[in-house]
Amino acid sequence: MAENVALSVAPLGPTESDPERCEGEEEVRRNEAGENKQTGPVAGATQNRLAKLPLSRIKALMKADPDVSLASQESVFIIAKATELFVEMIAKDALVYAQHGKRKTLQRKDLDNAIEAIDEFAFLEGTLDV
Amino acid sequence: MAERPEDLNLPNAVITRIIKEALPDGVNVSKEARRAISQAASVFVLYATSCANNFAMKAKRKTLNATDVMSAMEEMEFERFLQPLRESLEAYKKGQKGKKEASEQKRKDAKEKKNDVEENDKSREEEEEEEERMEEDQEAENEVEEEEVEN
Repeated sequence: MAENVALSVAPLGPTESDPERCEGEEEVRRNEAGENKQTGPVAGATQNRLAKLPLSRIKALMKADPDVSLASQESVFIIAKATELFVEMIAKDALVYAQHGKRKTLQRKDLDNAIEAIDEFAFLEGTLDV
Repeated sequence: MAERPEDLNLPNAVITRIIKEALPDGVNVSKEARRAISQAASVFVLYATSCANNFAMKAKRKTLNATDVMSAMEEMEFERFLQPLRESLEAYKKGQKGKKEASEQKRKDAKEKKNDVEENDKSREEEEEEEERMEEDQEAENEVEEEEVEN
């Protein structure tokens, strides 16, 4: 799996001044922070590269489709990133409805309203648990 | 062993974080809304995969690739994702290349340190290292075997 690549690099050697090793160390720190998750100012720079969602889970979802035989690592990554963008988008769109209702808490009905109103979310109709 | 799509969901903590980072401070999200978004995200993955797979099949390929996913995004009317996804993909590819080179360099260094080892041991290690290096590339092929068993 993609995320395991970083882990396999990590164990080789502790502190080194070799510039190539520095990258390895950064990976170790990142991984210690919890797989591909990050906080703080560094997050912005590497956010684009690493996906927040675990690629293994994304891949498992993809394999659930019987018509899918193989998927490249890149395709798994891109779907992970796209899903993150999707979550951001639907959250923001739902927020508009909460604000209409003068609420600061996003509720399920705001989601439902967004899904009904926005064309791109039409595929979700009837798919979510009531 | 096949997992049913209904059983697979994405980690709540990560979904929550993505939502929080997308929304302004002071906004809360109810548990039900979070659950619904998480479910929606899973449905998105399934739909995007199916869409992308259609493009792969049209091109008579068995392996879904990044271009198929991009085409799927267009098809699904998520063109706004295309530019950020292209940028992420570039960064990802560079990162992967860097990792490969870094780990190859480390293997080289490790090998040089083991120059005293006997012939037999050496060739065995080389075989193991080759396998490790190829692991990423062959991962997909290994998955084929899995898939054939599953399906």
